[in-house]
Amino acid sequence: MPSDMHFHIIIAAVFWCGFVDSRKIRGISSSYKRFYRERKSFLCIDGSKIIPFEQVNDDYCDCEDGSDEPGTSACPRGRFYCTNLGFRPHYIPSSRVNDGICDCCDASDEYNSHAHCQNTCWNLGQRERAYVEGQMRTLDEGLQLKQQLIEEGVLLWREKQAQLRELQQVAEDLQIKLEEHRRKKHEADRLKEQTIKALKAGGSSLRRQNRTVSSTFKLLDSNKDGSITVDEVQAKVALVHDEEQVLSEDEAVALLGGGHQMEITKFQYTLWDILTKGDRVKIKDTHGAPGSLLGEDPHLKAADTAAEWEATNLKKVEEAYETVNMEISDLRKKLAIDYGTDWEFLFLNSQCYKLKVYEYTYTLCPFNQVTQKSTAGTEVSLGRWGMWAGTPKNQYSQMEYENGEPCWQGGSRSTTVTLTCGTETALRSVKEPSKCQYIMDFQTPVACQPVLKQRGIHSEL
Amino acid sequence: MATITERMAPVLVLWLAVCLSGTWAVDKGNFKTCDQSTFCKRQRALKPAESPYRALLETMELTNTRLTLQLINDNNKVRLLLELYRLQGNMTRVKINELKPLKPRYEVPDVLIREPPTEPLSLLSQDENGVVLSLGAESQRVIVSAQPFRLDIMEGRDVLMSLNSRGLLAFEHLRMRKDTFSYKVTSTVASVWDNIKRVFSSQVEPEAEKKEEDDPANQSETTKEEEEKVEDGMWEETFKSHSDSKPNGPSAVSLDFSLPGVEHVYGIPEHADTLRLKTTDNGDPYRLYNLDVFQYELYNPMALYGAVPVMLAHNAQRTTGIFWLNAAETWVDISSNTAGKTVFGKMLDYVQGSSETPQTDVRWISESGIIDVFIMLGPTPNDVFSQYASLTGTQSFPPLAAVSYHQCRWNYNDQEDVASVDAGFDEHDIPYDYIWLDIEHTDGKRYFTWDPHKFATPKEMLQGLMDKKRKMVAIVDPHIKVDSNYKIHNEIRSRGFYIKNKDGGDYEGWCWPGSAGYPDFTRADVREWWASMFAYDQYEGSMENLYTWNDMNEPSVFNGPEVTMHKDAVHGSWEHRDVHNLYGFYVQMATTEGLIQRSGGVERPFVLTRAFFAGSQRYGAVWTGDNAAEWEHLKISIPMCLSLGLVGISFCGADVGGFFKSPSTELLVRWYQTGAYQPFFRAHAHLDTPRREPWLFGPENTALIREAVRQRYALLPYWYQQFYHAHRTGQPIMRPLWVEYPQDPATFALDDEFLIGKDLLVHPVTEEGARGVTAYLPGKGEVWFDVQTFQKHNGAQNLYIPVTMSSIPVFQRGGSIIPKKMRVRRSSSCMMHDPYTLYVALNPQRTAEGKLYIDDGHTFNYEKKEFIHRRLSFANNILSSVNLALDAQFTTQSWIERIVILGASKPSTVTLKTADGQESQLEFDFDASMSVLTLRKPGMNAGVDWNVMLQ
Repeated sequence: MPSDMHFHIIIAAVFWCGFVDSRKIRGISSSYKRFYRERKSFLCIDGSKIIPFEQVNDDYCDCEDGSDEPGTSACPRGRFYCTNLGFRPHYIPSSRVNDGICDCCDASDEYNSHAHCQNTCWNLGQRERAYVEGQMRTLDEGLQLKQQLIEEGVLLWREKQAQLRELQQVAEDLQIKLEEHRRKKHEADRLKEQTIKALKAGGSSLRRQNRTVSSTFKLLDSNKDGSITVDEVQAKVALVHDEEQVLSEDEAVALLGGGHQMEITKFQYTLWDILTKGDRVKIKDTHGAPGSLLGEDPHLKAADTAAEWEATNLKKVEEAYETVNMEISDLRKKLAIDYGTDWEFLFLNSQCYKLKVYEYTYTLCPFNQVTQKSTAGTEVSLGRWGMWAGTPKNQYSQMEYENGEPCWQGGSRSTTVTLTCGTETALRSVKEPSKCQYIMDFQTPVACQPVLKQRGIHSEL
Repeated sequence: MATITERMAPVLVLWLAVCLSGTWAVDKGNFKTCDQSTFCKRQRALKPAESPYRALLETMELTNTRLTLQLINDNNKVRLLLELYRLQGNMTRVKINELKPLKPRYEVPDVLIREPPTEPLSLLSQDENGVVLSLGAESQRVIVSAQPFRLDIMEGRDVLMSLNSRGLLAFEHLRMRKDTFSYKVTSTVASVWDNIKRVFSSQVEPEAEKKEEDDPANQSETTKEEEEKVEDGMWEETFKSHSDSKPNGPSAVSLDFSLPGVEHVYGIPEHADTLRLKTTDNGDPYRLYNLDVFQYELYNPMALYGAVPVMLAHNAQRTTGIFWLNAAETWVDISSNTAGKTVFGKMLDYVQGSSETPQTDVRWISESGIIDVFIMLGPTPNDVFSQYASLTGTQSFPPLAAVSYHQCRWNYNDQEDVASVDAGFDEHDIPYDYIWLDIEHTDGKRYFTWDPHKFATPKEMLQGLMDKKRKMVAIVDPHIKVDSNYKIHNEIRSRGFYIKNKDGGDYEGWCWPGSAGYPDFTRADVREWWASMFAYDQYEGSMENLYTWNDMNEPSVFNGPEVTMHKDAVHGSWEHRDVHNLYGFYVQMATTEGLIQRSGGVERPFVLTRAFFAGSQRYGAVWTGDNAAEWEHLKISIPMCLSLGLVGISFCGADVGGFFKSPSTELLVRWYQTGAYQPFFRAHAHLDTPRREPWLFGPENTALIREAVRQRYALLPYWYQQFYHAHRTGQPIMRPLWVEYPQDPATFALDDEFLIGKDLLVHPVTEEGARGVTAYLPGKGEVWFDVQTFQKHNGAQNLYIPVTMSSIPVFQRGGSIIPKKMRVRRSSSCMMHDPYTLYVALNPQRTAEGKLYIDDGHTFNYEKKEFIHRRLSFANNILSSVNLALDAQFTTQSWIERIVILGASKPSTVTLKTADGQESQLEFDFDASMSVLTLRKPGMNAGVDWNVMLQ
């Protein structure tokens, strides 16, 4: 029965193909198929051993590298290829083959177990495609936003630079002003000194000044009748060594040159002389004391006012100078921070972002600090800006904030901020995996990176 | 989990500040020395001398099962009743109580699994000096000497053990308070009530006094003497700011034991000390008093979390044991002496030829209760284990998963954290079975609840784990938050289940939740209620893959004396003083019962406890408490678990990595390598330490840890079989070498290496920067095979083994067969149906023997004979598997995928013959350099008869 035979051969061939596909090369990717071509023997891929081909996928590990058992769990170092049509193919460790847990979405890993695995690849693929599309949209949008932010960043950078230059100019101007004012103040001070010196030079110099004689006379002449009487002397003049005691009438008369009153001309040559010598009597009232004569002096008053004026001016200029310098150093410090290759992170400076997690509110102020505030209200520092700490490939993927509030068991709180791509700039999550070590997920368009290659997904089924 | 000072309940801050003052070591000042524990001080002040006790032989009554005899203290005329039993299995029980106590004295219930069956005692001879009783066949006798009273247990001419030979039997009889002079009237009603009660109970007194009058000794003299003996601390005692009202007055008991010919004694855990117990002459005795010790110190006799009052004595001829069944605070003095130097009876002088025999003297002192001692006479170590097991039961047989690897941390913060750690294990291809949640998972430290934010959907989380065939343990501590919105508290309070304070109100102490009550677990009804709380409909959010951890069950009371409960707290008619060391035992008992009940008695429970007592082995696992990430703590984990194994508690482990502080990467790796070969294998870390999941230390260290954990999983069939064996026999799983080589004195003090079962010897690397270790391989004429290289080494030698970071020195005994599963998967239940590889290590006689035990891994069905138990043996070039349990029924999908024969020669053919008569040739591979023969894929089912012939 040749035709029948023929039919059988065809059937056998069909079955054989199916057999090879399903058993012999279970668990390998198409790129590995060349190692598993049906021959008499199989060479372990590491070349260590030749075994009969029947021993491939026979559930016993012959090859050191596990290459003879791609489709079973027999080799400790083996791996199983999930084809996952409709989703992403991937390798799983051989130990997950027939372990009762569905690992491949196409259920191919549980071909001989009690697990009832559904093929979920299509759903997963769809979900993933949707997700990836979403991601791509986010990325596109993010990248656009990033471009804006980069442009803004550049502008901001320039602005800041200009601001710096301006400030520096102001500082220079102030410097000049400052010197001028220092000079002025110095002069005014000198003038004042001189005036004081002159006033303090003693009675001889005072005597020569008629105005002083007359003013003293006026001081003593309480009733302003042009002559000094005994009463007036008793009221205003005291002994140098005993200020409290009132002069006797005799003493007063003696001071008035033996008379009961005295005109200014006589005063100039008698009592004035005694008073300016100052060894026996003096004028009682503090206002009339020789010292206060300085305060009364209009020259001195003018000099003093001038000096004060100049000092105030100088102080104002100094303060302005200091403020400007502080601003400059602040700005310089800020500008010294690495804001990314295109200053794209610059806009984050001076911003703060909050997130509430359970009973705590976390605040991230990029390039400045991280804090935690409990509902009870106490604020704790979780670290101050330290540095970028991302991967060598992208160092801008992570920020480190260090030296926050000290911890119970020593050390201090610190926070690692991971930056991820998103269309908004926001704090997404905060965790404390170990005590006092916080990790934050911070989303921002500037973290978006253009992707060169997309991950492969089977779109065919 | 942490002790006290660590967790920062704001209310405790002040207290913490005091406690934390500076150092990392334990604050010894928080715990009593013998001198500060007045009964210990009083008892220890007694020096060896002629005993004041005299046996009144005329009161002797001998029935078929027991001998009773009155003892009288010639100093105070108080009479004691001695009971002597010969128990089945070569044990003697000695019980001493007051003949007429003022009120009953506490006798420990629930620890013995049954009233121990007795055997007939027969009188051999009797004269005015004493009696001689036969202890059965082996020419063993008990000699009761009358004056002074002592007991000597003899075998032939040898004294095995003497009791009261140093005259240290002391029994503080209950008495009326007579020292009214120093009596301080307290204002509390309860104390007045106590006094009233005392007055009423004293009505029994006259009778006792009448008895005393019968005695010729002068009554008035007695009274005087007694009055003189009133000492400070008898009726009231203070420690730090705590006062103990001691309404019953002094009640201590004490007895000495002499062990001629013994230089090595072991046991009485829990102490952070060497395996071999040290003499205590120059310091404090070993203390047994369950305490939550913050940052415990190593190599000292201070009490720790658990207490098992069992001591083993060993020499090359014999192993014996002493089980002092008393749950009160207990101190054990050990001194070393020679027999000739002690006050020794005439009998001994007569039989003992040499006076140079080494001797160990032991003395037990307990604060209350009675003297109830079980003397286990061996003679082999395994005999002692089965004797002790016949009294208190064996190790519970845990589910297989519990023997696997556990991942714990204080705390995994929320469900997301749990999910990501779980995923981390898969990502790094490291197996684990249980992930653990510490106290932070609860809603405000209210056990049986979940934090509503962090663990909002516990069942979802548990289902996620179940989908991966993994499990979870959540903590349930015995301190209950006093909070009228907390169901558990309300129930306990309304049912009157809390322990009471001395004034009759509910006892309250500080613990994690703040003010907390403590259920009286000594009550059966309380335990029953507690167990019912684990029902799935009671414990919301629980599922069948959720198991339990009992911590802080010493009990820990932050503001109590020595961080525990006041001794005058009240458990029904007993004081906390009487039952203290039992509390943790009962907590675990009730919890375990709960886990059994929730599955209708089907599933095996798993409960970890920190506090324990004799018999705790029946309820689960213990761990060595809050250790530290230090090399010395890694080292001490070995003797600590060995000591526990010797007294029945096999399921022991230490926190891998160390609880306090942060381990160096090297220490962490070494600890994983050590823990992988200890019975309970769990990593744990303190809240304040950085994360230390196995993949956080670079790929190289991840690989080292992965390998250690994988070695554990590959060996699970052997481990499981050891647990089954321990469950059946009471033999320890992790064993000191002397247990298997009892005649080799070189093994007697070894505690840096150990055996698992009898076939694997492990010498973990516990030195920083180690380049090599020196392991002692025991057994003259035996050989050991390195399990990694298959290199063969001779026994009875010290072997230097060079090590690298990947080395875990483990040796398989020549003459053994060990089953392994080489397909290590992500959890133990994923490996259920996997095939076996048999490692046959030949001895010089070219024979080997081993066992294979298989069951479903998680139910009690093994009790219904649903298991496979087979003997594997190799002799005359034939390896065969025969059924050891013909009446057992179980089928397995597992098959034999590989047989590796170590120390083999090259055969020409290898033939497999199965039970149905089928014969087939097996392919094999022979490595001549190491003499290793590997049989390829024999393929027969693991549960059937077969043999393999090498020709």
